[in-house]
Amino acid sequence: MIKTERILHLKSCRGRKVRVVREHYVRERVPCFSALCQADCDNDGKVLPGDLTHYVVPDVGVVVDYLEILEFRELQGIVFTQTACQAVQHSKGRRQYNRLRNLLKDPRHDCVLFANEFQEYSYCPREKGESQEKWQTRCVYSAAVWYHNHLAGMMDIVMITEDQDAVAQFSSLSSGVYVVSVQDYLSNFWMELHAAHELYNSISQALEEKESEGTEKEYTEHLPSEILEAGIKSGRYIQGVLNVNKHRAQQEALITTQASSNKNTDLSRDVLVYGGKNRNRAVHGDVVVVELLPKSEWRGKVTSLTERQGDEKTGEDEKSKPMPTGYVVGILQRNWRDYVVTFPPREATQSQSRNSQRILAIPWDPRIPKIRISTQQADALQDHRVVVRIDSWESTSLYPNGHSVRVLGRAGELETEIQTILIENFIHVPPFSEAQLKEMPVNSPEKPWKVHPSQVASRRDLRGTHLVFSIDPRGCEDVDDTLSVRTLDGGKLLELGVHIADVTHFVPEGSLTDLEARSRATTYYLADRRYDMLPAVLSADLCSLLGGVDRYAMSVLWELDAHTLEVTKVWYGRTLIRSSYQLHYELAQALLNREDTEVPELAPLSPEEKDAKLAELTQALEMLTHVARHLRAQRDRGGALELEGVEVRAQLDAEKNITALVPRQPLEVHETVAECMIYANHWVARKIQKTFPHQALLRHHPPPRQEFFSQLVDSAKARGFTINTSSNKALADSLDRAVDPEDPLVNRMLRMMATQAMSQALYFSTGAQSQEQYYHYGLALDHYTHFTSPIRRYADMIVHRLLTAAVDLDKGLSPAVALATNKELEETTQHINNKNRAAQRAQKLSIELFQCLYFKERDPQTDPSCVADAAIYAIRDNGVLVFVPQYGVKGPVYLKNRDGEVVTVGQDGRCEWKTGSVKRYSEHISTTCSSGTSTFTLFDHITVRISVQPSRCHADSLNLEIISNKPHKSAESQQPHSQGRSQLVQEVVRQAEEASQQAQERASRGPRLSKEEREFCQSKTPNLYSLLEEIRELALMDVGACRDCFMNIMYTFYS
Amino acid sequence: MAGLELLSDQGYRLDGRKATELRKVQARMGVFAQADGSAYLEQGNTKALAVVYGPHEMRGSRSRTLHDRAVINCQYSMATFSTAERKRRPHGDRKSTEMSLHLKQTFEAAVMTQLYPRSQIDIYVKILQSDGGNYSVCVNAATLAVIDAGIPMRDYVCACTVGFVDETPLADLCYAEESGGVSSLALALLPRGGQIALLQMDARLHQDHLETLIDAAMTACKGVSKVLDEVVRQHLQEVSVLTRE
Repeated sequence: MIKTERILHLKSCRGRKVRVVREHYVRERVPCFSALCQADCDNDGKVLPGDLTHYVVPDVGVVVDYLEILEFRELQGIVFTQTACQAVQHSKGRRQYNRLRNLLKDPRHDCVLFANEFQEYSYCPREKGESQEKWQTRCVYSAAVWYHNHLAGMMDIVMITEDQDAVAQFSSLSSGVYVVSVQDYLSNFWMELHAAHELYNSISQALEEKESEGTEKEYTEHLPSEILEAGIKSGRYIQGVLNVNKHRAQQEALITTQASSNKNTDLSRDVLVYGGKNRNRAVHGDVVVVELLPKSEWRGKVTSLTERQGDEKTGEDEKSKPMPTGYVVGILQRNWRDYVVTFPPREATQSQSRNSQRILAIPWDPRIPKIRISTQQADALQDHRVVVRIDSWESTSLYPNGHSVRVLGRAGELETEIQTILIENFIHVPPFSEAQLKEMPVNSPEKPWKVHPSQVASRRDLRGTHLVFSIDPRGCEDVDDTLSVRTLDGGKLLELGVHIADVTHFVPEGSLTDLEARSRATTYYLADRRYDMLPAVLSADLCSLLGGVDRYAMSVLWELDAHTLEVTKVWYGRTLIRSSYQLHYELAQALLNREDTEVPELAPLSPEEKDAKLAELTQALEMLTHVARHLRAQRDRGGALELEGVEVRAQLDAEKNITALVPRQPLEVHETVAECMIYANHWVARKIQKTFPHQALLRHHPPPRQEFFSQLVDSAKARGFTINTSSNKALADSLDRAVDPEDPLVNRMLRMMATQAMSQALYFSTGAQSQEQYYHYGLALDHYTHFTSPIRRYADMIVHRLLTAAVDLDKGLSPAVALATNKELEETTQHINNKNRAAQRAQKLSIELFQCLYFKERDPQTDPSCVADAAIYAIRDNGVLVFVPQYGVKGPVYLKNRDGEVVTVGQDGRCEWKTGSVKRYSEHISTTCSSGTSTFTLFDHITVRISVQPSRCHADSLNLEIISNKPHKSAESQQPHSQGRSQLVQEVVRQAEEASQQAQERASRGPRLSKEEREFCQSKTPNLYSLLEEIRELALMDVGACRDCFMNIMYTFYS
Repeated sequence: MAGLELLSDQGYRLDGRKATELRKVQARMGVFAQADGSAYLEQGNTKALAVVYGPHEMRGSRSRTLHDRAVINCQYSMATFSTAERKRRPHGDRKSTEMSLHLKQTFEAAVMTQLYPRSQIDIYVKILQSDGGNYSVCVNAATLAVIDAGIPMRDYVCACTVGFVDETPLADLCYAEESGGVSSLALALLPRGGQIALLQMDARLHQDHLETLIDAAMTACKGVSKVLDEVVRQHLQEVSVLTRE
């Protein structure tokens, strides 16, 4: 090592200039991360392949401004210099820097970081009077030359820069190192990569625009960060995340403060930021700093319903009581992401832009302001949805500047809309790459996959001893959980077993598949398709615990006392199983009910054998049900909640058109399976928490904030019920009591409100929370995790690895791979939580999309299916919020339109629009006009007409219009809750028959369709997805947990 | 400011060292003829001068005299030009007093004071340039000065600071690292026996990490001791050449 010194001039905390001398050590050996290295560099981790035509060394300016282009996976052999990385860190902030770091860490990208400033021969000290940019360029160039020499001239090095002087200065200096501009580079080496060219043009145009900004100020300048930090510490300013109101995006935004940043208890509430000027260029999601306005200028939130188009309408609306109001003085952290925008049609373009290249594009998310894009393709992009990024928002411009990245397609087309939903929720699901698929084991007719003998030796073999079976939805291909139950010791003991697919056996930690699964975190279910977390060979075949084949599993086996059902022994470990029966819910229920049914696995057997086997199976099922009832009762005593979501199933025909929206019915067997899974999750959580007290992944559900319950309590009061929200037990009990015999919907709606008040269940690392916070409120369990669905949840895979390590430790073996530390695990859990939330949102949006498609095809005036019964669940100033049980739709109904007319009810209950006034009370709302007064009370049933409100730039939405204040006549017959259970079963069977008929039809249509099926609906009937909507509604659960026993969620917080 | 990345993903620190690497140590003994012992030591950009007087009779208040061993009197000060902004008060402030006390404790553990009953040994250390790790540089410089004075010690006393960043211990922190919010630990070691003369830490650290941190500090101290040993041998060689002639 050689020591040199670096002299820096820094600003001291008091603003004075200080001369700081820092040491700088350079060394001869710095790893080059190239496969061609001749000098035995210590290259661990990612290595650039040796078979490329050249390596690219981007200059500082290129990395800072054009990082997005370097993110293309097609570009290979990129060497980032340390100089460039530090420049990004300094000039672009932490977010951009982290992006670069992730890029470097990602094994899918072919790029490395070279610490050029610590290399003896590539380091060049800054000369006196040399500008920073020149020095940086010189550093990068010298790094490029070093690479060329280090690799003994075997690889050409291309340095790309935007500095024309550098091109002139360096290009002829040494052979083998070429200095070219980005544009030349792209056009010489990547002619075919049009996306990169377009992106380049779009970014450079945006940069040019930035230089030619006007000077008139539209906004006040942000304060420098030192002042902001000092202000936050002294309590003058408040820090928080900007949350724009979806319905009044231009006016209202709330600052959600973090508890740590504000010490004043009276400011524990959120702060309102009203109007664009006060918001001062902050965009939804940014971390901002606000200063409060004087109390006289405080104002309240607008509580009346606003229609989408009526954004500008303000003024005489009634306000709630004033709340702290402030204005943004600075932004700590931008949270810009990729936005989907729609280019306006031609005529609108011309009217509002000074030169025709600049276009104000309207984001799909109404909370985001319009974005100014400079492009020459304005004509071509009319009415298209385009992905854009915001580059900057100067105080001189009314709107932010951005550049376009990618065109999605024409607005309104299904494919475009689905892509939009994915991008708006940061879901990135490219097809699995070659390299990832190469890691997979093969199972083809020519080369069938077999159980490995070494695995047979190391696993507990349950094939001969246990009767293992699975219960899943009909047509399920990825079976990740199976059950077994048997008696031991002549009936004194029961042995209950839950066997989960051993995914981690096939996916080693750190493999490409593992990394891809981690970045996806979950399988995404949309209304008409799904995106798998793992490649199909695993999810639908080798990991799937199909009937009649040998599979690897992770098992939990409990020995229970046959009478008291106390656990006497638990065994965890890897096993080898063969599932005997692949049942579906309806079949299992039929077996339990002792109905005559045909089990397909038994069909070829002789009648006597069949009866014996059937009896065995039925007995096992009954035993299971018995145990599950007991477990459920145990949890109920602890205070487990039963909550209600909107459960509707969209029935799709072969072309994936929705033919009907059908509510789903629950069966007891769902509950049984769910209970066993909860039990397994619980015990695994206990095990891993005990073995790894600081680094186990658990799932908790924090108790809800009491103030969120106010709507529930108030609404219940309107019907004379009291709801006690002091604990989960009290809440569960009082919800059970709040039943209106006349109207079963009341209870459902109350449960729905309770659900909305809940906080979200989250994964966490045990090292990051204190022991009291492990509690799962909804399930009333002190430890909980996710273990039972590793095929579609990454969290389960982590838990599997933890459990394996724990079992190994018990055997005295040390784990092969070091476990993630608390900090790493906490980061992973954050990531998974975010992805789960995104998955839920995407799912909900896709459901809404399909709902709109369903109603779009129908004429609201004539089609009877557009008229439905609705119940009022909340009152607003100018209307009510209603719930349509038939379709699971919630939405506003206006009682006053913009012309000042109100709804009046005629003699026969028909509604008309007349001039009048609306008056709101706490439990009802009444409209007055010349012909009389009509009142709408909470929980009233009314009839609404559903129509689609088309929107060009945003998603279509459903519009509800009141047509009568009487319940819709056919409504009662569709109430599933008023029917008996046996009827329910019949109903389900009938539906199942219909479904199978459909399946037959589908099969007869030939291979084209089945390919589609394979592509989009790999393992189950498409209809199920919509059901998952309710999971999102519950907001506590995640998609995966509920898929296999999706109906149980109405009963349990199975999450 | 959390903006500084103290340890890069590739394992480099701000100044290009790896986690366990020390700064460059350079030292000279016998820089002043007037004093009984003296030494100058540079550890990276932290530079210190140590001077030893004694053992001699007690001066000042005789009441402090110990009948069975020598009293060690330490004084630590920083030059006004030692930091980036000129220091107002070179010595006597609370920090210096505390540092003096720490030095005193360290050397009481190392010097064989029982050989000099009723006498006094003065150790004066001045920081000429400060760039982190002041305490350890002082201890190392003072060790050399004490050796130069010919006062018997049990062993070299070697000191080093270590910090804890991203679950990795960093040896020999520089100023930028020290001020970057790292929980750091200073350790003075008698390397041959592995005895700890002083251990000081003001920051919060999880108990689980303490052991790794101390281990790293010990390794670093042993590295320092090798350098000091070399300096002493070099010095002896020079001196013996001179005296022979």
